[in-house]
Amino acid sequence: MNWFYSTIQAVLNGLLTGALYGLIAMGMALIFGVMRIVNFAHGAFLMLGMYATYVLFQTTGISPYYGFPLAGAVLFVIGYTTYMGLLRPIRGQVDFMVILLTMGLALIITDGVQLIFGADYHQISIPLLSKNIRIGSEISINAPWLVSFAIAAVLAAVLYFVVTHTMFGRAARAIAQNRYAAPLMGINVNRVQAISFGIGSAAAGIAGALLLPVFYLFPDVGNQFKLKSFVMVVLGGMGSIQGAAIAGLVLGVVESLTSLYWGNEWALAVDFVIFILVLSLKPSGIFGSQRA
Amino acid sequence: MKRWHFILAGIFFLPALLVPLVVQSDYTLQVLFRVFLFAAMGLAWNLVGGYTGQLSLGHAAYFGVGAYSLALFSKAGVSPWVSVLLGMVLAMFSAAVIGSISFRLRGPYFALCTIAFAEVLRLTAKNLPNLTGGDVGVQVPLLFPHSSTKAFYISGVLLTLIVLALTAWIERSRFGYYLLAIREDQDAALAVGVNTARCKLWILLISAALTAIGGALYASLFLYIVPDQVLAMEISTEIAIVAMLGGAGTLIGPLVGSITLETASEIFKNFFKEANLLIYGVLIVVVVLFLPEGIVGTIANKLRLFKSAPIAPFATPEPPDPEEEAQRAVISE
Amino acid sequence: MSLLEIKHVSKRFGGLKAISDVCFSVRPGEMAFIVGPNGAGKTTLFNLITGVFHPDSGSIHFDGRDITNLAPDRAAKLGIGRTFQIVKPLRNLTVLENVMLGAFLRTSSPSKAEQEAIKVLKFLQMEKVLHLPARGMGLPMLKRLEIARALATKPKLVLLDEVVAGLPTSEAIQLAMLLKRLPEWGISAIGGIEHVMQVVMRVADRVVVLDHGTLIAEGLPRDVVHRPEVIEAYLGSKYKEIVL
Repeated sequence: MNWFYSTIQAVLNGLLTGALYGLIAMGMALIFGVMRIVNFAHGAFLMLGMYATYVLFQTTGISPYYGFPLAGAVLFVIGYTTYMGLLRPIRGQVDFMVILLTMGLALIITDGVQLIFGADYHQISIPLLSKNIRIGSEISINAPWLVSFAIAAVLAAVLYFVVTHTMFGRAARAIAQNRYAAPLMGINVNRVQAISFGIGSAAAGIAGALLLPVFYLFPDVGNQFKLKSFVMVVLGGMGSIQGAAIAGLVLGVVESLTSLYWGNEWALAVDFVIFILVLSLKPSGIFGSQRA
Repeated sequence: MKRWHFILAGIFFLPALLVPLVVQSDYTLQVLFRVFLFAAMGLAWNLVGGYTGQLSLGHAAYFGVGAYSLALFSKAGVSPWVSVLLGMVLAMFSAAVIGSISFRLRGPYFALCTIAFAEVLRLTAKNLPNLTGGDVGVQVPLLFPHSSTKAFYISGVLLTLIVLALTAWIERSRFGYYLLAIREDQDAALAVGVNTARCKLWILLISAALTAIGGALYASLFLYIVPDQVLAMEISTEIAIVAMLGGAGTLIGPLVGSITLETASEIFKNFFKEANLLIYGVLIVVVVLFLPEGIVGTIANKLRLFKSAPIAPFATPEPPDPEEEAQRAVISE
Repeated sequence: MSLLEIKHVSKRFGGLKAISDVCFSVRPGEMAFIVGPNGAGKTTLFNLITGVFHPDSGSIHFDGRDITNLAPDRAAKLGIGRTFQIVKPLRNLTVLENVMLGAFLRTSSPSKAEQEAIKVLKFLQMEKVLHLPARGMGLPMLKRLEIARALATKPKLVLLDEVVAGLPTSEAIQLAMLLKRLPEWGISAIGGIEHVMQVVMRVADRVVVLDHGTLIAEGLPRDVVHRPEVIEAYLGSKYKEIVL
């Protein structure tokens, strides 16, 4: 019966991880949905959020679970200015140029952080880390993951609400559907796009903050999350926020089960295989309506 | 081809071939080898990316296939140069698979798909140590009898010359025009009878085979390879940047791009030691923001050097005609 | 013997029936025009003929062959040329190179393609802009470029989709008179047009009226425009009584 409980444990862990994945993916999905920008700096933004929270913790002792709004605020500003300063000028160009630009930006950010903080791995220790919640005798949940799951879930719900029920959200969706008609409706396209980019980046930053207690911190930490975000956004349907969230959970579980049965090292490979399968069979993803 | 093209090529390549007579430093020759190798890789990428407009970020797949083919086939007893040939064949096969799936996708999806394939290959190489040596790596035989950096350098120059000549030949042929048409407007190309799927596949096969040779050469120089070296996204990015920096869609762009990039890289490594990636990133940003046509493209446009249209396939298009854009947005078919 | 034969063709996109049971044919040397309000289905019909879409039902025959499910590039090779309603110039190439692309369908030699292209461009009175880039050209020239590129493929039938839309009337008529000469070159044509009736009256041998995907009238231009169904389609039923 061991494998049964192991599987349940893996699924549970996967869901917990998946919530964070989903948050990261939602940010990227918002950006892609509104602006059709594939942001290769998304991982770097996550890393920045992680470092910001780390500095906050080291200097003030504030736990990431209270300090994450700082990461969100910092990355919102960074995202907004990145869009206004770097991305808006090249709006008309081929997508590839945008990809290259965000790649270059990611390099700058990552190497810059390495210069400032060094390439060493860092880790923080908070009391919550040692708390585990037991379910029955075979299953346990690590408390930090539960907290981050809760925070991520709440934020995801808030984001969904903002996109579906506020004026801003409506404007963003209008631009996503028809970039040329939107200004005719009185929408300040540039501002809405910049804000969207800011929100998307903030999501990545906050996810970074939530990851800090349970993950090693180093300059290149964002890379794997960026790659996984692509997979999730495509799986969920480019531009679909709910799709990205669900895809996050799915990916978390799939990775967890893959690690259990085939070993850790295959998890990322499986992600990419899923990616390729989705692109070949149903490019619009689970929830997406945009054609690939 | 006009006479002065050959003269210009001679002026550049003959001295290039004679460099080893003058330069003795192994290190310098290695750097120069890298310049020409990545020029050749950039030129090969340019066929698919610059001319056909299919901007792949996964060319490391073919590079790595070439490298690993040399290593693994030789280990199995095949002679090195035959292994290189097999590597080309394998790379073309990979290209057929990758292309058949990726080419159906448009815009950013295509680039992402090429990345995914390259990453799958990299991770597979990492995770099958019994086959590929995994992260520990695998030995690569010497392609040239004496461990001579000079020989590698010359091979780099020759490879560049070959790919350059091939590009020039394609550029002037009907196939070349078809590739440009695919880049500019696939539907228009179909409407005049271009079999776009077949053309894209063929040019990718050619590009992949050439890239595989480069991978094999690179591997042989280092005598030892690991997945994170020859199948890394960094290789894909460098190949694409070399072409874009120099001018994608131009003939000599990738060559200029490689010379510029490798020179800059050497300077950065010597002066900025830790920050060389940062400068690299700045370079990429600068290219996209200010030099979207690349060095050669920008100069050519300023001087109106080419008889034909300005080469600006990836730069900002003319301001959209409002009526046209409105029609495009509303008409669904 | 018809050159093009469309039999009972229908096509729907999701819930919208774009083309409903349309039958019509074009004889060699004929200039037919499909007239209809925007959204009537003209471009869809062209896309069906050229193979961009395939009909849900019905058949299309060209020059005796069944082309119902052919791909666009094969249709072009068989001799069907087309222009696009929203022009698709190859912007980073010159006008000459654009047209050479069409000529390459019939020859693989760049010099022969160039000669052919120049011939076509002369016919369309575009010699002055041969070496100019297509990027930045005005709409009238781009429309002519579309036609030139299609003609360079030496088609038997050319589909001209809204080829005079957006042009000032004088330009439109000028272009139309050029097009009237196509049959001299052995090229039949079908034009799709919404409202530039002066062109239709001068050039068309036969007119077919499409409304909401169905064929509602067919015949000589001056007869068809007076039919009540046609007036109703364009102006609404209120005006049917008034005009008559």
